[in-house]
Amino acid sequence: MQYCNYCKIYIRGKKNKCVLCGNSIPAAHNKEGSSEDESKEAYPAIPPSFQRHLALRIMVFISLTVVVISFTAYLMFPTDINWPLLIVYGLASTWLSLLAIVKKRHNIPKTIIWQVVIMTLLSLFWDWQTGWMGWSVDYVIPITYVAAMLVMYVTARIMRLSVRDYITYALLDGIFGIIPVAFILFDWARVTFPSIICAASSLVFLAAIFIFHGESIKAELNKRMHI
Amino acid sequence: MTQRKRVEWARLDNASKIFPAVRSSKDTKVFRLSCELTEDVDEVLLQNALDLTMESFPLFRSVLRQGVFWYYLEISDLIPTVEKESNPICSPIYFGDKRNLLFRIFYFHNRISIEIFHALTDGIGALTFLQSLVYEYLLLKHGEEFSGAMPTLDYRSPVSSKMDDSFEKHFTGIKGPGQSINKQTRKGSEKAYHIKGVKLDENRTKLIEGSMSVSSLLDLSHKYNTTLTVFLASLLLCSIHEEMALKRRKYPVVLSVPVDLRHFFRSATSRNFFFTMKVGYHFKNGAYDLNDVIDTVSKAFTDNLTEEYLRNRLDRLMSLERNPFIRLIPLPLKDLFLRIASKIKDGGISSSISNLGKISMPADLEPFIRQFSVCVSAPRPQVTMGSYKDRAVISFTSPFRETDIQRAFFRFLAKEGIEVEISSND
Repeated sequence: MQYCNYCKIYIRGKKNKCVLCGNSIPAAHNKEGSSEDESKEAYPAIPPSFQRHLALRIMVFISLTVVVISFTAYLMFPTDINWPLLIVYGLASTWLSLLAIVKKRHNIPKTIIWQVVIMTLLSLFWDWQTGWMGWSVDYVIPITYVAAMLVMYVTARIMRLSVRDYITYALLDGIFGIIPVAFILFDWARVTFPSIICAASSLVFLAAIFIFHGESIKAELNKRMHI
Repeated sequence: MTQRKRVEWARLDNASKIFPAVRSSKDTKVFRLSCELTEDVDEVLLQNALDLTMESFPLFRSVLRQGVFWYYLEISDLIPTVEKESNPICSPIYFGDKRNLLFRIFYFHNRISIEIFHALTDGIGALTFLQSLVYEYLLLKHGEEFSGAMPTLDYRSPVSSKMDDSFEKHFTGIKGPGQSINKQTRKGSEKAYHIKGVKLDENRTKLIEGSMSVSSLLDLSHKYNTTLTVFLASLLLCSIHEEMALKRRKYPVVLSVPVDLRHFFRSATSRNFFFTMKVGYHFKNGAYDLNDVIDTVSKAFTDNLTEEYLRNRLDRLMSLERNPFIRLIPLPLKDLFLRIASKIKDGGISSSISNLGKISMPADLEPFIRQFSVCVSAPRPQVTMGSYKDRAVISFTSPFRETDIQRAFFRFLAKEGIEVEISSND
């Protein structure tokens, strides 16, 4: 075993320098009874991991560059429509959605719910910013909810998720689907058939959940809501 | 999808609640226990031993999940696999939504290690698991040598009692006299000296462990008329003082010391069951006397380790947790509050020292075991130790390049005539 003359301690493994004081260690000093085992490195050398999130960094850089260039162009060649602002909205929406996916990627049903919420809010925002034509309430929101129920069911089937892993999210999905009823009741929707279809399918969806997995829902809720 | 199995789940116990909230890439709240054998480890046998061990530790099959109000443990069907050591020390285990087991088992040459996320269990709980694993492994490897008379691991408790939440069990619900405790809290909020240094890349942890003879350590602490833990805590305080810059000496050096409550309250749980107490010393001007420090530390130990005092704190913590308003706060907000509270608490701490104590294994297995060691993820340099037969291993983990404290600590022991053998991941 190696020995540091300054610290008066023995050192396992093959080191050039004393781990305590950094002084170089003189030629191997053999302690009596030291075996071959003790000259082996005690810990594996672990190489530095590759620079993480490089793709993400490149994407952030491109996004910022695009924003700067579009505002520069707009200032030099002004137009009636403030199009660089729309680019900012577009990039912000993409990033919001992307970050939610990255953050929740380990739990797919949860990702679906997050996307539904984000889509709802973004479509309302865009509709409002582009002169409130009502397309978000008429089409986008009801269609998103129906699509979410479908995607949830298909994912659960394909990924062979166990009931407890997706049932709470499916329930949330079904409850979202009821929301378009309000669009009809309060006359917010000018085109009503997507909302009607959405509400109807979510009723069927909810009925299926409660009839086939009623107990699971109860157990899941007890667990997730315990106080 | 047609699976209708009733899935067991468990609440987190009082001490575990903090860990999921405050873990970060800088402080992963992971700790490691290792057992060094006298020969290289056989991966296949270790896997078999692990499978056997898992049967008596149902809790270890759980994954950590977020509820609306609290985290909870959910028993999973995941099967742990043995790997060759290839991760940095105490790298993250719990990743939020990812459903993975809260521990990993690996080996390197002749060492078997377990790394555990602290929300699952404390050092003693993890040790019981590692002891069982090593026991099963050595029985598989050397079973024929014990012809007939198989050594037995005598401290095996019933599987159900390992699942106990001992905080819950020993909570009396009676509010004790709060005065002495309040005094302690006020003292606790005082700002302590913070060790500074150059961080290692990628939030890696530097581990320096010194292995030495227990009897010579005991002799040394008896020379100073004190116990081993008090002596080492005092020596750590002095070693930290050695590297303090003059202008920062206005702050006291404070150590946080975890206390295993199993010593004070009957429990065989493999879940968390510990508290931390604080011991400190204000060095003020440069000159100090180790004996003086020892007296102060020793007094703090005796004051804080009475059953009455501990019961008071246990009841106080539990009634806080049972406060209906606190219980109804949604989890993300609770996490935020816990993070802030822990930041404030960390302000009062310079370092920590934790002694896992004497580890024992059946006598027949002794020829195959060299030593046990323990270390923790470290947002600041801290010390953990454990001993087996006559080998004590004192481990420093640190996020910094600097090794001044470690050097002062081990040089002192060497100067007192103890033969110290250092290993490091450096």
